[in-house]
Amino acid sequence: MLFPTLAFGVFFLFVYFTTWSLDHENGRRKLFLLLASWFFFAQWDWRFVALLILSAVLNWGVGALIAQQQGPKKAWLVGLGVAANLLILGFFKYYGFFIEQAGDLLMRFGWERDLPLLQIVLPVGISFFTFQGISYVVDVHRGKTPPAKSLLDVMLLMSFFPHLVAGPIVRASDLLPQFDQAPRLTRVMATHGLLLIVWGLFKKTVIASELSVNLVDPVFFDPSAYSAFDIAAATYGYAVQIYCDFSAYSDMAIGIAALLGYSFPRNFDQPYRAASMQSFWRRWHISLSSWLRDYLYVPLGGGRKGLVSSCINVFITMVLGGLWHGAAWTFLAWGALHGGVQVIERLGRAAFGDRRVVPTVIGVLVTFHIVCLGWILFRAENFELAMAMLQGLGRAGPVTALTPLLLTLIVGGLAMHWLPPRAIEGVAERLKAAPSVTLGLLIGAAILLVEAVRPEGVAPFIYFQF
Amino acid sequence: MTDERDPPEIPLEPFPVHRPESPFPPLFESLPPGPAASDSDWNRNAAAHDLSVAPNPGRENRLVALGRFAFPPDPPLDDEGLAARDRRWTTRTIIISAAFLLVFNAVSPLNWSRQQAPSWLQGTIQQFSEVWVGQLAVFGVDMPRQGVREAWTAARDARFAGQEPAPPAP
Repeated sequence: MLFPTLAFGVFFLFVYFTTWSLDHENGRRKLFLLLASWFFFAQWDWRFVALLILSAVLNWGVGALIAQQQGPKKAWLVGLGVAANLLILGFFKYYGFFIEQAGDLLMRFGWERDLPLLQIVLPVGISFFTFQGISYVVDVHRGKTPPAKSLLDVMLLMSFFPHLVAGPIVRASDLLPQFDQAPRLTRVMATHGLLLIVWGLFKKTVIASELSVNLVDPVFFDPSAYSAFDIAAATYGYAVQIYCDFSAYSDMAIGIAALLGYSFPRNFDQPYRAASMQSFWRRWHISLSSWLRDYLYVPLGGGRKGLVSSCINVFITMVLGGLWHGAAWTFLAWGALHGGVQVIERLGRAAFGDRRVVPTVIGVLVTFHIVCLGWILFRAENFELAMAMLQGLGRAGPVTALTPLLLTLIVGGLAMHWLPPRAIEGVAERLKAAPSVTLGLLIGAAILLVEAVRPEGVAPFIYFQF
Repeated sequence: MTDERDPPEIPLEPFPVHRPESPFPPLFESLPPGPAASDSDWNRNAAAHDLSVAPNPGRENRLVALGRFAFPPDPPLDDEGLAARDRRWTTRTIIISAAFLLVFNAVSPLNWSRQQAPSWLQGTIQQFSEVWVGQLAVFGVDMPRQGVREAWTAARDARFAGQEPAPPAP
């Protein structure tokens, strides 16, 4: 059940009215939201609901035990909890990849063996809910958040349908305090939520879908058939597509949660106006980058042990961040590229201090093009295709794939990064005082516009596969 | 990636995390302020016969007073009342949007039902939708959506000079 579908619209209306009718009974409200979330998840594969329940019970149990223990046993328990979460993630997401690599390695040494290959279906959203589980266990250990008051709270934390399948990664410290009391819906939350949903619909179903179907997919499928201009356009187009696709999901998730009275953290902040890779990761998929910082980079030692150590740590963090996106060498290379550039930036800052060596405009352009280079690795199914894309950038020929509309969408998708930083919030502030009839008609007209131009059907969000 | 948390000037949370205050002041604060009371009614220069004999300007018209007695105003809303008011406003907004779309975007449920696997529910929705779309088409309410779609299709089919024209739609 995808957000921009009629089925989800009907589901959400049912959840909205039922939830607010249980306003004075927070326990029943949460129970209803949990059941609704499981129903939502079961639309992909009902068997994985059991995995979700198992994961929640595991994290709740470990969190409760950590809270009761003192001394070294706590460290053992947190290690156990993290390992159990990683085991679940590793089995479903990386088992096939590592078995394949092990088979290749053994064959090279002449020890060919029949390794137990399994056809494992990847549960949608597993990377997100396992990371949430890890953050819960570690935060309880660190004392950043008290253990949840009930299993219901942990289950709902991990299963809550707006963020379940593609984030943002909402931490226990963000959501558990909100579960303690019946939420309240204010006009500004409602207006902001509705605007985010409409804006997300537009970005996903109009910009991302149009670019994907008519430019990016054909060019990445067979780069040799296209000229340099088309390949460059497809690369820029993919940069816009993945931003509009993923940020749209986050926007809609934040908006849907807001209409149910809950607040999620922001996940994107105009990433392509970043003037450095470090700044880019403060703006792109913020809930993941801050998760990697708090639960991987800092435990590795962060920048506390000197420049060399911090460079190694940031590189390891970004490579593992790449691997989180998928079990493929191209994702590892993507992470290594981002990590390598951050190491260079770090060395540059060590050499030149905080002096601005490069003008901001140049910084933005260079960062954007490095990010685009990374997107080629990210989108291509293998290194051969990625290399074919890069080689095609030197091929002369007619422009066949790029059309005026696609060019407009690419320019528009990039130009939206130069809107005022909190434009939606600003509009929401102005509209919150409008009568419900006015806002209702405005929202209806905006959705009508999107519905009129969107293609039939809707492709799954890119980040569902992660 | 740094050891530091994000700078505080970039708030990451679009909404307040805990029970946010209502953006609206309590009703009594929005009422116009009354005449400021002086500390003392002593007027050094006034004589007794200077005192006003006009009726008290603050006294209410009897008809208004009767109306207020018959239909007393609600007390100012408390926190719960404000929350309920905001919730009703949101619900009305959503219902109006849905009703608007049900009229002007009536073809969407029809398209959706045609994409589903055949079943009793799918068949029922499709039949209802066909009747609904047909009835509304008489009044021309499908024209705005159709007009936007045609303009979008024309934009999609546009090509740069020298490019081959778009293939005909299937």
